[in-house]
Amino acid sequence: MEGKLSHAAKKITLSSIQELSHLAQRCNAINLAEGFPDFPAPPHIKNAAVSAINSDLNQYRHVQGVCDLLAKAVKEMHGLDIDPLTDVAICCGQSEAFAAAIFATIDPGDEVILFDPSYETYEGCVALAGGVPIHVPLDPPQWTLDTSKLLRSFTERTKVVVLNSPHNPTGKVFTKEELEIIAGECCRRNCLAITDEVYEHITYDSLKHLSLASFPGMQERTVITSSLSKSFSVTGWRVGWAIAPAVLASAIQNIHARVTDCAPAPFQEAALTALRSPPEYFESLRRDYQSKRDYIVKLLAGVGFKIEFIPQGSFFLFAELPDNWSLSDVEFVKKLILEAGVVAVPGQGFFHTDLSSNEVSKINCHYQKRYVRFAFCKSDATLTMVAERLSKLLDEQEHLALH
Amino acid sequence: MATVSHQNGTSHPSQVAKRLEKFKTTIFTQMSMLAAQHGAINLGQGFPNFDGPEFVKEAAIQAIRDGKNQYARGCGVPDLNLAIADRFKKDTGLVVDPEKEVTVTTGCTEAIAATMLGLINPGEEVILFAPYYDSYIATLSMAGAKVKSITLHPPDFSVPIEELKSTMSKDTRAILINTPHNPTGKMFTPEELKAIAALCIENDVLVFSDEVYDKLAFDMDHVSIASLPGMFERTVTMNSLGKTFSLTGWKIGWAIAPSHLTWGVRQAHAFLTFASATPMQWAAAAALRAPDSYFVELKRDYRAKRDILVQGLKDVGFKVFPASGTYFVIVDHSPFGLENDVAFCEYLIKEVGVAAIPTSVFYFNPEDGKNLVRFTFCKDEETLRAAVERMKQKLKRK
Repeated sequence: MEGKLSHAAKKITLSSIQELSHLAQRCNAINLAEGFPDFPAPPHIKNAAVSAINSDLNQYRHVQGVCDLLAKAVKEMHGLDIDPLTDVAICCGQSEAFAAAIFATIDPGDEVILFDPSYETYEGCVALAGGVPIHVPLDPPQWTLDTSKLLRSFTERTKVVVLNSPHNPTGKVFTKEELEIIAGECCRRNCLAITDEVYEHITYDSLKHLSLASFPGMQERTVITSSLSKSFSVTGWRVGWAIAPAVLASAIQNIHARVTDCAPAPFQEAALTALRSPPEYFESLRRDYQSKRDYIVKLLAGVGFKIEFIPQGSFFLFAELPDNWSLSDVEFVKKLILEAGVVAVPGQGFFHTDLSSNEVSKINCHYQKRYVRFAFCKSDATLTMVAERLSKLLDEQEHLALH
Repeated sequence: MATVSHQNGTSHPSQVAKRLEKFKTTIFTQMSMLAAQHGAINLGQGFPNFDGPEFVKEAAIQAIRDGKNQYARGCGVPDLNLAIADRFKKDTGLVVDPEKEVTVTTGCTEAIAATMLGLINPGEEVILFAPYYDSYIATLSMAGAKVKSITLHPPDFSVPIEELKSTMSKDTRAILINTPHNPTGKMFTPEELKAIAALCIENDVLVFSDEVYDKLAFDMDHVSIASLPGMFERTVTMNSLGKTFSLTGWKIGWAIAPSHLTWGVRQAHAFLTFASATPMQWAAAAALRAPDSYFVELKRDYRAKRDILVQGLKDVGFKVFPASGTYFVIVDHSPFGLENDVAFCEYLIKEVGVAAIPTSVFYFNPEDGKNLVRFTFCKDEETLRAAVERMKQKLKRK
């Protein structure tokens, strides 16, 4: 009965990140693959959720207060004026906000520009809606935007540009100049933008996250998507949102209403508390993650990884295997699980070759199998244990001897 | 590239996708807003004004405190998949593999969306019965399906088997059934299900069965079509926590299907919502393991509520159709002289202070629903009695 599957379903493969998680579980490995914390969520937010459940806030609901707080937040962070009554759709996680935004804007055959490497879900979602993903490669090792590559990717079928910043998997925070270029092209070509800003509160070295929507001409054509998940360490709560001009927000809301009706009611209520967190909360979030970043960068560089790009945001480190390590990323990760009891994600799953990168030569593509993504959203105890496990596998040069 | 059109709010700028024709604000939102404005008793929107059982809420709270707040496995927390399989065996006798044949979704609504998107290609034919829950038509359009609607008519809304026979062909990909049925309260009889099954086997058609009200079956036993001979291999059975446990805002649902169909559902689910709320999944597992007494009491309580409303509606002068299952009852409002269902509902809210749902939005051809409106009885008894009182006082036959 495979013939009964839709074309879209057949093209898409099961989340490889989750598959590795299963192998890790079976080997009792420390999970630096999947991007969720292993430390508890903030108590004030958990209490708010418990309180909501006890207060019988458990039926279909739309909590307008969440929209009001988001309006305040985007004004403070990005100087954007939005109408909380018409410009916000509360969804089941950024995942659903993104899916609804894609279904609201993409007709079959429409092209969607994505920056490579990219989180694997975007492409699947675009394909499900009948759209055509077009990947624009960012240039290693600094993951810089090559303007000419971007410009060459636009066609008259380009409908949407997807921008994820801070970026998964590289940890890049797009610069003001890069955002200006992307914004300029979107305006010139009259395209829409959908942003994924879930790591908006996790930036380092005093770097500020800038929303593409805050650039000239962009607010009227941008859907901002984000969620509680990463900012408040509640990836399992499924509360996210889309912020967009009223016509788009309304379209997204209408799709969301037919796909899930509403986001989990008690967690919408808890979002009110989360979104009222004082500046100190976000400062300490940033500080804690920065120290974890520094720890893991030092650790992995110390055992031989090539780390030419220090993460500027998100909680991922995209580390390069040194040239003298002959294993591919996948082989390396498998050995890491089996011998070190640590799991990470092979980088090749984040890279895509398609029409727009045809001009990239075979030699240049080689880099796509040389990266491994480590998530450092883990407790200090976990990270210390990683160091201990790796330390048992070092050679005379103090480098990892898995290769 | 189409130019940006600065249009007024009523028309679609060129940048919004074409599939959105079917995606306007729901009738529920509109009626609820009107009801709130006029202080009307809301018997329109289908969620309880009482809360779920303490033991389920406690389980969710415990899960939150135990730190179960991160991503669940996309297809479901394993213990919930197991609980769903166990419950399904108790209810239908069917043994299913919790790992390969059960998928947890973000409510039954998402189970439906994922099933359509995972298993229907653009242009493929899907049959559904009108009146239907309005999200079906919207998600079918998202999947690009060619929809064939067969109308169920009062007084008993029976399935027109001859019409179904002539509508179904080898070109039909799937048929969507909802039993117990929203909005009519009908339950598909064993004979109807057998007839549908025979046609599906003959034409190699899939069945998507929305059974979200299966525990609110009053006048006969609920039958899952998947349990009929030859049917499991071609059926997706969908259900949820919300109606059975009065927790409609938790969004925990599921789809049970043979592994080759489950695979398609899981692909689409991965891109629609990725995973469902983790603490609620843990609580759902506890809920589904509730003793039989819970389900017996649930049915008894709802039956009592049904009887209050149905008797009340009859006394007021509506023509009331049998509410065999769900927590809805459908009535003919024409004795009151309003021109159609929407006009009647607006009148009922503004002049009488009670909200119901006009059914025309549940039909492929809205005209088919103009005499019918839907009331819900998932409210506490005091509320139901108060609503009946208001109607007795203020609603006069013409």
